[in-house]
Amino acid sequence: MKPLPSSMRERKRYIVFEVLSTEKIDRSELIDELWSSASSLLGDVGAASCNLWMLDFDGRRGILRCAHDKTAMVRAVLATINRVHGIRVGIHVLGISGTVKSATEKFMRQGDIPRDTID
Amino acid sequence: MLNYYDLNVHALPEGADPPSILSSVAKRYGYAAIAITNHSNFWSEVTAEGIISGVEIVADGISELKEKIKNYRPKVDVLLVHGGDPKINRAAVESSDVDVLAHPFHEFNHVLAKSAAENEVAIEFNLDALIYARGVSRVRALSAFQINLKLARKFGVPTVLTSGARSQYDLRAPREMIALASLFGMSEAEAIGALSKTPWSIILRNKKKARAWSYYETSTILDA
Repeated sequence: MKPLPSSMRERKRYIVFEVLSTEKIDRSELIDELWSSASSLLGDVGAASCNLWMLDFDGRRGILRCAHDKTAMVRAVLATINRVHGIRVGIHVLGISGTVKSATEKFMRQGDIPRDTID
Repeated sequence: MLNYYDLNVHALPEGADPPSILSSVAKRYGYAAIAITNHSNFWSEVTAEGIISGVEIVADGISELKEKIKNYRPKVDVLLVHGGDPKINRAAVESSDVDVLAHPFHEFNHVLAKSAAENEVAIEFNLDALIYARGVSRVRALSAFQINLKLARKFGVPTVLTSGARSQYDLRAPREMIALASLFGMSEAEAIGALSKTPWSIILRNKKKARAWSYYETSTILDA
């Protein structure tokens, strides 16, 4: 199949977030919780328009993709997540970027993540 | 950069974490300080860096409330009243010694809004109702917030946004609080004011009062 021309692609934002929790959080469980929180807060219609997609999550930090004009809503959805599979969590957005590259460069390299695990 | 404050956080023994952990998480999230406001039946004095001492007064009746306000006022910098009951809400907004009426919910109207504006009692939008509730109870909380916000705008009542956190996992960063506030129609500028300017003016006002009070005390002692 021919790739979609760049002008026809959805505009996106990449949200880098950090999870505060006692135990390590499983990626698929976090995705389940994200979807249930999104559809509970925004309804199925609103959740669909956010165009959510979890790109990467290492148990503490992750990158979430969403529609470019829905970042405030997605922030609210992330803020309403309080438990993942029974584990208490608090999610904190580190930053938002227009590309994966700048998102990782700006927000994922801080702190204790060693450089060579990303490159 | 603006200084952000969260004026309703519960620490040990009422919450799950000691004040030091709560304040370090809050600092990482971008808050200048948080107020530890345990309910009056769990209250103990807390003083530390990045922490404002506060209390959330719980009372069954008006006379008990007045007694407790008099008792706690000299001891704390931020005084909240645990609202929700119509009589308590009314007594709280009629007292200029009260800083914040916490979660008034549906028991708030134009009469109360008018006296709240006169006495400079802020009303609280406690976002834990949006974070933890799902379904009907969250819908109710949102509609109460919408009505209270409309009244606050009309009568010029100061507003504060708080997390009502009971553990470090309940705290939310200022940007997240602003996003949650937009769900019930609060604009970004209003939300920033409710996290920074309004709490700061409350803190400042009480610091001034405390200074005036201690000055008054020393001067009367000297006179005697």
